[in-house]
Amino acid sequence: MIDATSLMLTLMWGLAIGCIYVLLATGLNLIFGVMKLVNFAHGELLMVGAYVSYSVCTGLGVNAYIAVFVSMGIVALVGLAVERLAFRRILGSDKLNEIFVSLGLILIFDNVVALVWGDKSKRIISPFENMSLQLGEASIRFDWLIALAFVVVILVGLLFLVKKTKIGMAMRATSQKSQASMLMGINIEHIYIFTFMLGAALAGAAGSLYGIIFPFNPSIGALPTIKAFAIIIMGGLGSIPGAIIGGLLYGIAEQSAVAVFGSTWRNAVAFSLLIIVLVLRPKGLFGEKGD
Amino acid sequence: MFTRAFTKDNFLKLLQSTKGRIALVAIAVSLVIPFVLSDNYMIHVLTTVAIFIIYASSWNLLASSGQGSLGHAAFLGIGGFTSSLLAVNLGIPPIIGIFIGGVFSAAIGFLIGITCVRLKAWFLAMVTFGFLVIAETLFRHFDDYTHAKLGFRTPILVPSGLPFYYFAVSISIISVTVMYFMMKSKMGLAFRAIHQNATEASMIGINTAKYKLYAFVFSTFFAGLSGAIYAHFQRYIHITVFTADNSFKPLMMSVIGGLGTIEGPIIGSAIMVFIDDLLPNIDTFLNSVLGPLFPAISSVGPSIRFIGLGVFLVIVVVFLPKGISSLIRKIYRYVRTELSESEKP
Repeated sequence: MIDATSLMLTLMWGLAIGCIYVLLATGLNLIFGVMKLVNFAHGELLMVGAYVSYSVCTGLGVNAYIAVFVSMGIVALVGLAVERLAFRRILGSDKLNEIFVSLGLILIFDNVVALVWGDKSKRIISPFENMSLQLGEASIRFDWLIALAFVVVILVGLLFLVKKTKIGMAMRATSQKSQASMLMGINIEHIYIFTFMLGAALAGAAGSLYGIIFPFNPSIGALPTIKAFAIIIMGGLGSIPGAIIGGLLYGIAEQSAVAVFGSTWRNAVAFSLLIIVLVLRPKGLFGEKGD
Repeated sequence: MFTRAFTKDNFLKLLQSTKGRIALVAIAVSLVIPFVLSDNYMIHVLTTVAIFIIYASSWNLLASSGQGSLGHAAFLGIGGFTSSLLAVNLGIPPIIGIFIGGVFSAAIGFLIGITCVRLKAWFLAMVTFGFLVIAETLFRHFDDYTHAKLGFRTPILVPSGLPFYYFAVSISIISVTVMYFMMKSKMGLAFRAIHQNATEASMIGINTAKYKLYAFVFSTFFAGLSGAIYAHFQRYIHITVFTADNSFKPLMMSVIGGLGTIEGPIIGSAIMVFIDDLLPNIDTFLNSVLGPLFPAISSVGPSIRFIGLGVFLVIVVVFLPKGISSLIRKIYRYVRTELSESEKP
């Protein structure tokens, strides 16, 4: 039977991993919403983010949480390169091409990172390494709470950007009707670049936080991507609130599955859920916008 | 369905065309090549190519209907485990077992296909990948029956070496021929119509769900068959057959070779297997040259090879959307027009 302490821990673990999924899923959702592009290599940007943050932390001795911002910037630049060199050229062609290019990018990123940083597992040491909050018998690491706070701040900033600024308005216009917004004088080429970089920056932040909470290696990128897709599909394509709620629920569901069935079932339970959802509603829980 | 395409006329027509002649030459080469490259390792590599041709072609058949599976390794594993477990537990001879493996894999493929036919490209990719993860978890969980965690030795199908090579090549030739006629038949036409535009295809009266399901069943049959042969070829089967890597291989082979063409997966399998099995020979060289540049990793060879493969894949998709086979066709057409023009005056 599950007692209160382990329930609390499961919930906190779920929220911690869930907030990383939220960042990843939101970035993917932005890119999909605006560009109608499915980037299966998005998790690789998370992985690169974790390593950049690691280098900034250990190499320059910067505080782990300041490194998050450095990593966001650098990963955004990586995103720029990916968009210009690979995805830009196949945009609007066969949908399967996006999957193929993503696979190529996964191979490239995994192995470039392995060459530069090695293939051994690493962790970012945070300044609050051994501090935790005692709640009854459950001890909750400060890092989990800080990560949660970070995600909230980043998401509020993102919502402000999308809803209140001029470029956010241009993004929303492009996402609704790209041709009409071109006629209104929006340079959708620039909007595409900006959106992709923004999505990449979110993945970079997700990676840095991932690196603070969990150990990581060059091959961690693939599964979170697939899970982020599952979250988007369940939460509704193009909907940011859907991605946020979906991500948190998914994280908690995954940790509960581990607590109940054991860790081998971690991924299988999640995918079973996804398949059931898609069988019942082929376009996701909240339908599909556009396309 | 597609049986109508298997007429004597069509066969004769094929044999008289350029395509048919190329196919005959390719078959002849595949039968003679073991005498040229006669060391054991090369025959092992060539047998692997023959098996992967079946596997990649099966993926390609599914993709020709617009369904890009990311979980084909599940069917490779199901076929392999079915045949091996039947042989070990019930004493069913592997020569029958490999076909039972294919049929069982197709039955599972039918069930997955039912859930997939209504889905769009990326949803389908997700569901098939999810199915791979679920299949792996189930095989791990029911280890008492599958013995997957530790793996086990599979019985002999055909003696290894040359006999196995010829066996694999003949199954490969038969499978590719069958798939060729499938893709040339009315069914294959329906696949291509669905791939290009599913809505329009259903408007002109193609039952898209039915044909997508056909694609799934036939594709997973051949995937299961190749998995079973592969398991007996390796003489060993283990849970690692269900890796994402094995799922991505047929995809890369088909895309590099030429998606939707019959020769694409064949060219792609040959290239990929040679890269996988022969290029490691240059690893020591790479290590001595580039090793000092990257002190973080013990051996740079594999990573460099994979980066090369990734770059190659992206370049092929961006610049050669129809793969290497389209390049060969272009060169062939160019040479032919040059020749005919030089003959005229």
